[in-house]
Amino acid sequence: MPVKALYDYDFPSADRAELFGDDQLVYVHWDGNPLFCSAACFRVPRALPFGEFAAQIVGPWAASDPDFDPGAVLRWRLFDEPLTPEPGRSLADLGIGHKALLHFSV
Amino acid sequence: MTQAAPRAAAQKTRKLPLKERYALLTRDLDWEPSYVGKEQLFPYTSYEGIKIHDWDGWQDPFRLTVDAYYKYQAEKDKRLYAVLDSFAQSQGHLGLSDASYLNAIKLFIQGVTPLEYAAHRHFAYLARYLEGPAPRFAALCQSIDELRHCQTQIHTISNYNKYYGGFHSWSKMHDRVWYLSVPKSLFDDAMSAGPFEFLISISFSFEYLLTNLLFVPFMSGASFNGDMPTMSFGFSAQSDESRHMTLGLEAIKFLLEQDEANVPIIQGWIDKWFWRAYRMSALVAGMMDYMLPKPVMSWKEAFELYFEDQMLGGLFPDLDFYGITPPRHVEDAIAEKDHLSHQVYKILHNFSFAASFTTQTPSEEHSRWLAEQYPATYPQLYKPVWDKHARAEAAGGRIFFQGLPQLCQVCQIPMAFTEPDDPAAISFRRSEYRGETFHTCSNGCQWIFEREPEKYVQAWLPVHQIYQGHCGGATVPEVLQWYGIQDGDNGEYKGSPDARSWAQWHASAAAQGV
Repeated sequence: MPVKALYDYDFPSADRAELFGDDQLVYVHWDGNPLFCSAACFRVPRALPFGEFAAQIVGPWAASDPDFDPGAVLRWRLFDEPLTPEPGRSLADLGIGHKALLHFSV
Repeated sequence: MTQAAPRAAAQKTRKLPLKERYALLTRDLDWEPSYVGKEQLFPYTSYEGIKIHDWDGWQDPFRLTVDAYYKYQAEKDKRLYAVLDSFAQSQGHLGLSDASYLNAIKLFIQGVTPLEYAAHRHFAYLARYLEGPAPRFAALCQSIDELRHCQTQIHTISNYNKYYGGFHSWSKMHDRVWYLSVPKSLFDDAMSAGPFEFLISISFSFEYLLTNLLFVPFMSGASFNGDMPTMSFGFSAQSDESRHMTLGLEAIKFLLEQDEANVPIIQGWIDKWFWRAYRMSALVAGMMDYMLPKPVMSWKEAFELYFEDQMLGGLFPDLDFYGITPPRHVEDAIAEKDHLSHQVYKILHNFSFAASFTTQTPSEEHSRWLAEQYPATYPQLYKPVWDKHARAEAAGGRIFFQGLPQLCQVCQIPMAFTEPDDPAAISFRRSEYRGETFHTCSNGCQWIFEREPEKYVQAWLPVHQIYQGHCGGATVPEVLQWYGIQDGDNGEYKGSPDARSWAQWHASAAAQGV
């Protein structure tokens, strides 16, 4: 149902991909860890290799939990689908797009 | 002048009965436009599709007049300001239950007071643009009420600004800070809708359906915790609030009675605005169950009494006569009443390093109260997490969320809510619009997004704005400075400037034998 308005109602999205240049937003959720209230949101280059993403972006955040063990991370998912993240491939190559939601568990 | 007034003049100033004065003030001051057409004079009352056949069908049970209104409000102000003066002069703040109580009041002045001002502005707009003279006058009175509430809240609460952190810059914070975008964006949503949708959103859903859940907890929390000024403000506003509730109910009945074609439009707005207002009330849930050193009643109990009994049990059976059904997704709200406050306070506790209030892990005593109130959920699901926080704190740490959260595109609350049937799984909802992904926290917010995606794609989501570089910089200190949050306003309560001052004031009072 379109917005009812007195004029042509057409505005761009406030977070459209082009506003982030070569970067994009990615969400990461640690499944089953209620110490974190929600998934985290990161701004990262699309070309960032997954290995670096996991070690330099996700790791420091996940370490908010003193029990976090980077070696124990497994079962990555992209939205609801299983994901096999090869560390050398970029986020873009792995199909992880703007505002994608990743999950992992330990 | 000692000269006696002529008899004729004395007769002219004879006081008319209230009902007659009200009729003269409203209907008799109205006129048919002759220089411009009605559509030019009232350009906003047709595009929403609402059909009004007889504006005189609007009944205002209060029949206020200008002189009665001002006289009554002036008396109430006199009483309120007497309480404020005596509280300030007697150092009344030292008699609060604890300095941590004031976190609830910080949330109030940052989150609620600016909404009073926004309501003042928008009711002034309705007072000009509604076609009927009676609803115009009712909107005018409410507009003045809202301005008075804004002012009296500022005067009531600013007394604490001399002694405690977090009470400054609330107006700037309302426009900028992440958790305050929740109430701000709700009101912006309502104010950018048409006049009839605004009536259903604010007058009906906000002021009628959920007012007892949104405002009463703050006021009874104040009275339980020794905050006489805020309690007196609550009393002072109470008669206005009951008038606003009546306006909300009158508005919906009037619109429903005018034309059958209005019914599905109104139902859509009730479905949308119940969920919008309910989602915002989540902040109140967290406040009620976790921020009051002397809790009043649990969120769950308040929800059952004020919403399930009074609204679902009382109001909606009445509205059934018009073909109105209870709001969509109400069953999801009922399903999460045992979880809501715990999940929301978790957010605030995770992120209070970036808030203009402090949080703390519940004490053993408070934890026992929570377990009594939520025997089916607290001990199993939430206490173990607080225990982990307590262990880290005992070892000298304080666990915060070292990053930024994913936000809901509609309510703008971090996506912390769980599935209605699975408290272990976060409720992630996803929609695609014009090739872009949008995330929402619940069935209710997703439904609202998909109903008007072109509106919500514009949302100013604080996390994404920080990442676009619009909030002062890329680091936490830069963002906090842009927010107007000063060191000590934020973070953990234990050891905070407020906690230290409180302990010092009470220790010196004890030493002096006071």
